[in-house]
Amino acid sequence: MAGKLVRREAGIGYLLLAPSLFGILAFLVFPILVVIWLSVNSWDLLSPAKFVGLENFADVFSDTAFRGSLLVTLLFVLMVIPLQTVLGLFCATLLSRALPGSGLFRVVYVVPWICAPLALGVVWKWIFAPTGGALNAMLGGQTAWLSDPVLALPAVASVSIWSQVGYVTLFFMAGLAAIPMQLVDAARVDGANAWQTFWQVKLPLLRPTMFFVLVTGVISSFQAFDTIYALTPNGGPRGSTDVIATRIYGEAFQTFNLGRASVMALVLFVVLVAVTLAQQFYFRKRITYDLA
Amino acid sequence: MTSPKNRPFPFRSSSSRSLPSGDGTTTAKRGTARRQTPRSPGAPRPVPSGLVPRRPEPAVLGLNVLSYLILGLGLVITLAPFVLSLMTAFKTPGQFAAQPALNLPSPATGENFLTLFSGDRDFWAPIAVTAQLVLIVVVGQLGFSVLAAYAFARIEFPFRDALFWLYLGTLMVPQVVTVIPLYTMFSELGLRNTFWGLVLPFVFGSPYAIFLLREYFRSIPQDLISAARLDGAGTLRILWSIVLPLSRPILATLTIITVVSHWNNFLWPLIITSGKTWQTVTVATAGLQSQYNGNWTLVMAATTVAMAPLLVLFAIFQKHIISSLAITGFK
Repeated sequence: MAGKLVRREAGIGYLLLAPSLFGILAFLVFPILVVIWLSVNSWDLLSPAKFVGLENFADVFSDTAFRGSLLVTLLFVLMVIPLQTVLGLFCATLLSRALPGSGLFRVVYVVPWICAPLALGVVWKWIFAPTGGALNAMLGGQTAWLSDPVLALPAVASVSIWSQVGYVTLFFMAGLAAIPMQLVDAARVDGANAWQTFWQVKLPLLRPTMFFVLVTGVISSFQAFDTIYALTPNGGPRGSTDVIATRIYGEAFQTFNLGRASVMALVLFVVLVAVTLAQQFYFRKRITYDLA
Repeated sequence: MTSPKNRPFPFRSSSSRSLPSGDGTTTAKRGTARRQTPRSPGAPRPVPSGLVPRRPEPAVLGLNVLSYLILGLGLVITLAPFVLSLMTAFKTPGQFAAQPALNLPSPATGENFLTLFSGDRDFWAPIAVTAQLVLIVVVGQLGFSVLAAYAFARIEFPFRDALFWLYLGTLMVPQVVTVIPLYTMFSELGLRNTFWGLVLPFVFGSPYAIFLLREYFRSIPQDLISAARLDGAGTLRILWSIVLPLSRPILATLTIITVVSHWNNFLWPLIITSGKTWQTVTVATAGLQSQYNGNWTLVMAATTVAMAPLLVLFAIFQKHIISSLAITGFK
């Protein structure tokens, strides 16, 4: 009787799980096997796929365009992450002073986050336009922001920062609110001023938030596509904004080198898994500051 | 109730949370409220006994003014692109060419929007496609995620934990990696440039939603469920009339997240559709931009239309949306 009940319950469990398990196996697990298969084949979707062993890997690793993309992605991440983190922390610190009207600022800062990155990219493409664009109208001059190989990447990165600062702010506000008031008050009583309290009490306590913001930021910046695609199609001037994601897209869906594109996708995957595992490792040994 | 001091991000917490409060209040919101009392200038501050309450310092006023200036500057920088693009959308191409970009439209014209919704550019079609896509993905993804999450949270079956780890592991798989194999798979199946091609990868549930829902379901007292079982209720009945009503806040959060991310999704629709029939709003906007490059008044009308529905939604549900962001850290 009991065994029958257990078996019946197990049956219901599998039944409830069936649709999502199908989805996960078919659209997340199986594609990884396919991408590995694609990476050792040469295929343009028209003629039959041909097994080429590790040729694609050798090809991709010696490809200057791909090396360029790795460098561009790294530069992009290095521009976006520090700036958006510092600005987000700064805004959060100001907002957590809880001045009247802080709520409004917080809401407005998040607005870009809710909008389609593609649409924001198109809006900023107009703002950056050499003639008729808002930025040149403001500054005077005819700077071609997005077609100058030196200016294009910083321009693209600033759009990314602009759209994400509000979101980062939100997390730092949550982190600041989670700091026990007793600790801050204790520091005050000991004679610490606001500056010292921030650097020596609050910032160390924000470590988990900081790490979370950094890791999720790095992971999403490594995959940045929509905004960059809208601002600078085809990799930008002399490939100066050709990040890994746009490179993979071009390789797979414009020149139809599916094998090479799959190798690049696998490289990106390995990088991202490494970042994620580093995060896991960090949180396992993270120190908590709960007050008993 | 977990106190806000413990964890800024509830989703990283382990399982032992008690029943979440009714409205899904965020840590951020609670935190601000908590902080406002002791911090607001002039209000009596709770101080350790024996200390004299501090008088408001004159430096504080200067600091407040400075804070407002900086926050105001941030406000202007955040909103300017929206305001400017809206202004441009209401100008005639002639006006746009003749006057500086920062001038107000005079007179304002709806011409660009009329053009956008007429002739071969018809923007209604992408809006209809995207709305259907969002509807089907929300219903399918949430429905199937609820079923799976309940199984993981409340039902015993062999390999449950192993399967859950498999689900969690797929959280690490980035979209950029799966689009190429999915494209080849869908091409082989003849699903390229079809509506089902657009929605299938997302409709069977999302590991992330399942993870969040499982955490939530585990916080529902087992007593409630056992009592219903004694009364003879079956699994689906329990799920429908006990678990789901108690889970409204997390369901609302997940609905918002799903609507936003699929209205805005670009890469997959760009790849799997071609031509006008199944264009989504983002793909149509990108297409319009490259087709009418330089015709900025029309293009800004398109971006306005692409962003407007979510901005309206945001204006109405901003409190809940901000809580959802803070709870889940989505995207």
